[in-house]
Amino acid sequence: MNDNSPASGSLTTQKPHLGVREHEGAKQPLTEKVSVKDVCFFYGESKALKNITLPIYERKVTALIGPSGCGKSTLLRIFNRMYDLYPKQRAEGEILFDGGNVLDPKQDLNLLRARIGMVFQKPTPFPMSIYDNIAFGIRLYERLPKSEMDDRVESALKRAALWDEVKGKLGTSGLGLSGGQQQRLCIARTIAVRPEVVLLDEPTSALDPIATAKVEELIYQLKNDYTIVIVTHNMQQAARVADYTAFMYLGELIEFGETRQVFTKPTKSRTEDYITGRFG
Amino acid sequence: MNAAIYNRRRAVNGVIMVLAWFAAASGIFVLALILGTLLYKGLGGVSWAVFSQNTPPPGSAGGLLNAIYGSVMMTLIGTALGTPIGILAGTYMAEYGRGNKLTMVVRFINDILLSAPSIVIGLFVYEMLVVTMGHFSAWAGGVALGLLVLPVVVRTTEDMLLLVPDSMREASSALGSPRWVVIMQVAYRAARAGMLTGVLLAIARITGETAPLLFTALNNQFMSTNMNAPMANLPVVIFQFALSPYADWQKLAWTGALLITVTVLILNVGARALSTRTSKS
Amino acid sequence: MTEHTLRAYDEELHDLSQLVAEMGGLAERQIRASIDALIRRDQDLAASVITADSEVDALERRIEDLAIQLIAKRAPLAGDLREIVAALRISIDLERVGDFAKNIARRFTALGSESDPNQLMRRVEQMANLALVQIRDVLDSYVRRDATEAMTVWKRDEEIDALYTALFRELLTYMMEDPRNITFSTHLLFCAKYIERIGDHATNIAETVNFMIKGELPQGARPRGDLSDAGVV
Repeated sequence: MNDNSPASGSLTTQKPHLGVREHEGAKQPLTEKVSVKDVCFFYGESKALKNITLPIYERKVTALIGPSGCGKSTLLRIFNRMYDLYPKQRAEGEILFDGGNVLDPKQDLNLLRARIGMVFQKPTPFPMSIYDNIAFGIRLYERLPKSEMDDRVESALKRAALWDEVKGKLGTSGLGLSGGQQQRLCIARTIAVRPEVVLLDEPTSALDPIATAKVEELIYQLKNDYTIVIVTHNMQQAARVADYTAFMYLGELIEFGETRQVFTKPTKSRTEDYITGRFG
Repeated sequence: MNAAIYNRRRAVNGVIMVLAWFAAASGIFVLALILGTLLYKGLGGVSWAVFSQNTPPPGSAGGLLNAIYGSVMMTLIGTALGTPIGILAGTYMAEYGRGNKLTMVVRFINDILLSAPSIVIGLFVYEMLVVTMGHFSAWAGGVALGLLVLPVVVRTTEDMLLLVPDSMREASSALGSPRWVVIMQVAYRAARAGMLTGVLLAIARITGETAPLLFTALNNQFMSTNMNAPMANLPVVIFQFALSPYADWQKLAWTGALLITVTVLILNVGARALSTRTSKS
Repeated sequence: MTEHTLRAYDEELHDLSQLVAEMGGLAERQIRASIDALIRRDQDLAASVITADSEVDALERRIEDLAIQLIAKRAPLAGDLREIVAALRISIDLERVGDFAKNIARRFTALGSESDPNQLMRRVEQMANLALVQIRDVLDSYVRRDATEAMTVWKRDEEIDALYTALFRELLTYMMEDPRNITFSTHLLFCAKYIERIGDHATNIAETVNFMIKGELPQGARPRGDLSDAGVV
C-alpha cells in the first residue's frame, strides 16, 4: 500500500451508495406482477393484516420477514386465496394479478391456484409414487399422452434438481425420500403445473443446511422464469435469496425495499431492531 | 438424593408392576382358556362334512354348509350396505361439515348407535321389516348387520380422515385441485389403510352377532338361497344347537363357534397388520 | 439503540469499539511523539516511536481477528454490520497513520544534525498539530457516534492541505536559494507529506464514521486545499 488519495478506501469507492443502486439486470424494466393494495385480513373478529400495500415484481424474489404472528404467512396465503379453505377468514382490499382482482368473490379459485403455486413449510408429498406426485397437478388441467407426460415429469424434476437422485425410482413412494428431497419434490410438483407466481412458506425451516442450500440454489434458478414470494424466519436466507424484502410487524408492513438496502440500511428502527436481533 | 424416598419409590414401583403384570396375565389366561376350550371341543368336529353338508336333524350326521352360506351372504349384504353409507357419512363429517352442527349431531347419534346393544338393532329391524313384510328373511338379517357395520365405519372413516394432515389438503388445493379431487385422490389415499381397517373390524364384529339375526333371518334347517326367506346362519345355529340335548348338535355348535372365532381372529390380525403398515408410512 | 437479545453479542461489539478507540489513542500518541522528536531532535524518542509501531500493528490484527469472528459467528446485519465494517476500515486507516508516524521518526534520523530554520520547523509543527486535532476529533466522533462532528473533521482537512501547499512553496524557495539545503529540505518535505497523509486518513475515518451511523458515504467531493500536485506553485 503505497498511497491513499483522499476518499479511496476500498469500500469508499462504491460511491453510488447503498439503497440507490440501480436494479440488477436494469435493462429490463421492473413490472409489477402482483399488486397488493390496501389489504386487510380478518380471522373472525380479529384483524390480522392492516392495510397492506405492496408490489411484487415480476421475475424477482420478494421475501416477507418478521416475528411470529406478524402476518407474513397470512399475507402469503391471501395471494392464492388459501384462506378460503377455512370458514370465518376474510380479506378486504385488492390484489391485482394480470388485470383481475384475486380477492374478487367470482374468482375461479382452482384456476387461480394453478397460476399461483405454493410450497409449504413441511414437505407434503402425496401418498403416491414420485411420478404421480408430479403428474397429479398436470393431470388436473391437461390431458397429455404418456410420452409427453414423462417429459413434463422429467423436466420438472430436473428443474428442481432432483432428477439425478430419483430417476431410477420414479415408481416408488414419494414418502420414502429424505426431508430435503421431499421438499424439492414438492417444488417440482408446483412448477410442473407451470404457474406464474410461486409462493414459498418457510420452505427450508424443516431442512438441514445442505438441503437448505439446495433449495436456495433452486430459488435462485427459478427466478429466471417465475415470480417468487418467500416467507422466512431466517434473516440470512432472506438476505441471500431475495431481491426485495418486506418487513412486517403486528399485521402491518413496516418497511419494503431492495434487500441490499433493508439489510444494510433499514429506514425504520423497528426493522433494524428485528434484523439485528434486538427485539424486546 | 434421599435414599429413603428413593427406596420407597422403588417399592411402590415394584408393587404396581406386579399388579399390572397380574392383570395382564389374567386377561391372557381367560382368552387362552376360551381358545383352548374351543379348540379342544371344536377341533374334533372339523371335517370335510362340516363344509359340504347341511345342518342335520337330530341323531344323524351332517355339517354347517347352509349356515356358513347364510352367514357369508348376510355379512356381505351388511357390509355392502353399511360401508358406502358409513364412508360417505364419515367423509362429510371430516371433510365438508367439520365442526358444524349437523356433524356434531351425527357424531353423537353415531356414538349411541355404536354402543347400542345388538338385540335392540334386531328388534328395530324386526319391527321395520319383518313385521311389515310379514315374514323373516335374509334381507332383514343383512339390513340388521348393516346397521351394526354403519357406526363403526362412520367412526373410523372420520377419525382416519381427521388424521390426514391439513397440510396435505392445502398442498393439493394449492395445485388447483377441486375439493373432490383433494378428497378422492389425496385424503382417501392417505387414510386408505385406516379406513380399510375399520371395515375389517366392522366385519369381524358382525360375524359373531346372534341377537339381530334371531329376530330377522331366524334360521333354516335347509339350504336356502332365497334372500326373501328365512336363512340359516352360524350364530343362530350355534345358539340353537348348543342349547339342544343332542350330542351331535352340541358338537357341531362347538365346531361352528371355532369357525367364527378363527374368522374373527383372522380379520383382527389382518386389520392390525394394515394399521401398523399405515403408521409406518 | 436497545440491547441485543444475545448479550454476548453486545459485549463483543463493545470490545471491538474499545479496541478501535485504544488503537486510535496509541496512533495519536505516536504522531505526537514523532513530531516532538523531530522538533526537539530527540534521538531516543524517535527510536521509541519506531519500536512502538509494532504495538499499533498488533492492535490492528486484534481488531481484524475480532471483526472476522463477529462476522462468522453473528452474521451481522444493518447497523451491526456497518459498525463491524467501520471498525475494520478505521483500524486500517489507523495502521497507516501509525506507519506515517514511524516514517517521520525515521526521516528524523536521516536528517542528522543539519541546519533547521526555525520558521520551517514551526510550519511543520503547525501542520502536525492540526493533523492531531483532526485525528483526535474524528476518534471522538467515532466514540460518541457523532456524524456531525465527523463531517466537521471531513471539511476541515482543507486547512492542512493549504498549509502543506504553503510549506511546499517555501521549501522550494529555500532549496533554490542554496543547493546545500536540498537534502534537509527533501526530508522535511517528506515529513510534511506524511502529516498531510495523516490528515487524509482522518477524513477517511470521518467518512467511515458517517457511513457507520447513517449508512451512506458523504455526498460530493471533499474540499481540497492541497494544490501542490496540480502544478500550481
